[in-house]
Amino acid sequence: MLQRGAHSSRGHFTVKDGAGTLWFDMGPAAQYLPAPMGLLDRRLLVVTGKGGTGKSTLSAALALAASRRGKRVLVCEVTARERVSELFGRPPSGTDMRELAPNVWSVHVRPREAMREYALMTLKYKTIYNAVFENRVVRYFLNAAPSLAEIVMLGKVWWHAAREEREGQPGKLRWDLVILDAPATGHGLTLLTVPEVFLQLVADGPLARDMRDMQQLLTDPQRCATSVISLPEEMPANEAVELSRALTAHGLPLGPLFLNSVFERRFTPGERVAVARGGPGLAAAGEAAEAHEARADLSAQYDKLLREQVRAELVRIPHFFDGASGIAALERFAKAIEAVL
Amino acid sequence: MTDLFAQLRGKRVVCCVGSGGVGKTTTAAAIGVRFAVEGKRVLVLTIDPARRLANSLGLETLGNKATRIEPAQFQAAGLAPKGELHAMMLDLKLTWDELVHRTAPDAARAKAILDNRIYQKLSTAMAGSLEYMAMEKVYEMSASGRFDVVILDTPPTSNALDFLHAPDRILDLLENDAARIVLGPLLTAGKIGLKLFSLSSTYVLKTLARFTGAEFLKDLAGFMVAFEGMYDGFKDRAGKVKALLAGKDAAFVLVTRAEPQVIDEALFFHRALAEEDIKVAAVVVNRSERDPRRYGGADTCEGVREALSLAKIENAGAPPLAERLCQTLDEQARLADLDRREVQRLEHALPGVPLVTVPRLRRDVHDLQGLWQIDGWLAAESE
Repeated sequence: MLQRGAHSSRGHFTVKDGAGTLWFDMGPAAQYLPAPMGLLDRRLLVVTGKGGTGKSTLSAALALAASRRGKRVLVCEVTARERVSELFGRPPSGTDMRELAPNVWSVHVRPREAMREYALMTLKYKTIYNAVFENRVVRYFLNAAPSLAEIVMLGKVWWHAAREEREGQPGKLRWDLVILDAPATGHGLTLLTVPEVFLQLVADGPLARDMRDMQQLLTDPQRCATSVISLPEEMPANEAVELSRALTAHGLPLGPLFLNSVFERRFTPGERVAVARGGPGLAAAGEAAEAHEARADLSAQYDKLLREQVRAELVRIPHFFDGASGIAALERFAKAIEAVL
Repeated sequence: MTDLFAQLRGKRVVCCVGSGGVGKTTTAAAIGVRFAVEGKRVLVLTIDPARRLANSLGLETLGNKATRIEPAQFQAAGLAPKGELHAMMLDLKLTWDELVHRTAPDAARAKAILDNRIYQKLSTAMAGSLEYMAMEKVYEMSASGRFDVVILDTPPTSNALDFLHAPDRILDLLENDAARIVLGPLLTAGKIGLKLFSLSSTYVLKTLARFTGAEFLKDLAGFMVAFEGMYDGFKDRAGKVKALLAGKDAAFVLVTRAEPQVIDEALFFHRALAEEDIKVAAVVVNRSERDPRRYGGADTCEGVREALSLAKIENAGAPPLAERLCQTLDEQARLADLDRREVQRLEHALPGVPLVTVPRLRRDVHDLQGLWQIDGWLAAESE
């Protein structure tokens, strides 16, 4: 992956590929290369990973960081419960787009509303929509049809990222960046591979055409990246490895891999022994130090595993102890990941 | 302190439910180990176990095979089980295929279904499919008579409703009545193209086809035709599964972690279960942080400095050792306070529901010994 800010006046750039950092001397021609791409320069960023790893916080922090760089950002949430608006200290956006902070908007993508929007776009006429899709029997059938919910939800995200135009400015896209806060691992992968699976089943019709465009967007490393977030624990880390492999196997370009809630080593082995033998006065402090180091050990262990197993840049986010909330907490999170933005 | 096992005595099915990443699999396995040690024939049915836990349970491969954990393994962990512990990893596709074979009137019909593209999608990737088959397998295993108790580690569904309504959602698809009205012309005309249909049906169908593509509808019609007459078998079976899970032979254990979001989800889950008239037998809060101050000793920076000097430990390093220690003490105590507050919130929101707390252990649990250690907490024997 090209490193933003790694451009030197001598025409070097660094490539990181899991095996380490390689240096390329590009010579004088390098000065004509476009600036290396940052994560936020894409059209669509997808965030996924095991439940509880911090997907929504990462999505919100990425959105905040992008808005501070002058971008108009939309965060699309597709899971049962909205979180991003809450992280900005705002009421839920629901299915209408709401501005959470300057240039940061969010929307809760729900199957029924997405279906309606999508069908209206495809059918053009509201009367036809009402006659067909608001029909109780048809609705019953559509609810049961395999993956239709996922199709229309992803369709809506794609439309915001690649089709929606700025009001009064035809040809100009409304959003500079769309962030998809995707469901956890398995369901996330199901959602992202919906175009691929659908195109195997259906070759014709407007939906298939849109699905093809969607697939092109999802697989284009210039326009889209999928980032996995993990914790230094066995299940999330193993899932991150498997998920990254699966994403790559489906042709979905990987963004940086985020390791959340990292504990750094703080005490030397000698200090630990001394404190443990230091008598009852140090009992609580010694216990705390051991608990901390146990988590630092796990952090180091899964940091190593992820660096060895996933071909993506690893970004560490420290564990934050105070229960800070709102934009301040997101800013702190964004600062921790600044290097890859 | 609550003994979880006292809440589960006499149950034939135990379902561990909760959001992803809360330790459902570990809890299910720990319950299984305890019951096996006590003398029961136990099956732990799991969906997606952590690799090392799977290995220690002998679950290297998928395939719906119940594998017995050998007594020698128990002995190596210092345990002498009076019963048996079996483990099985659910194979989604295989469970579907078995169900089709069992329900289909003949082999030709079974093959027609197994070959259908909609069925293949349904049996591997459709949302809710895994949840449905997990329940189906629990029923099958429980009815087999081979086990005294079947413990289900439910799929990592983010939403309780997905889990509870999965069979309904899938049965809706299989039930011909509704779809039949829409797909009617396709069902009767078989393979003839769309254009031959009567105007009114064609109107709806054509519109749908613009949306989904005509091929999809044809596949779906083919699926419906193949399933003709089998729906009742499915529905009957699903009804029995539901009756078992909602009945007195089954117990639901709600597993959670003491994090605000996860507790919110647990409460949401509890409400959803209550709406289905399912009572939660107990709540297990995993990995709660323990307060280092429980050991006593200095708990201020000043106190730590004094204790270091008293123990003749040099206050060296950058930042100095005392500062690092008191920062760590403060952080760990804060983690414990946060967790305590969340557990209290949970207790307050669920009065009368037995609650068991398992502390964060220093290492990942992935063997019988580790599971037995957790059992000590679940049985309220450990301190």
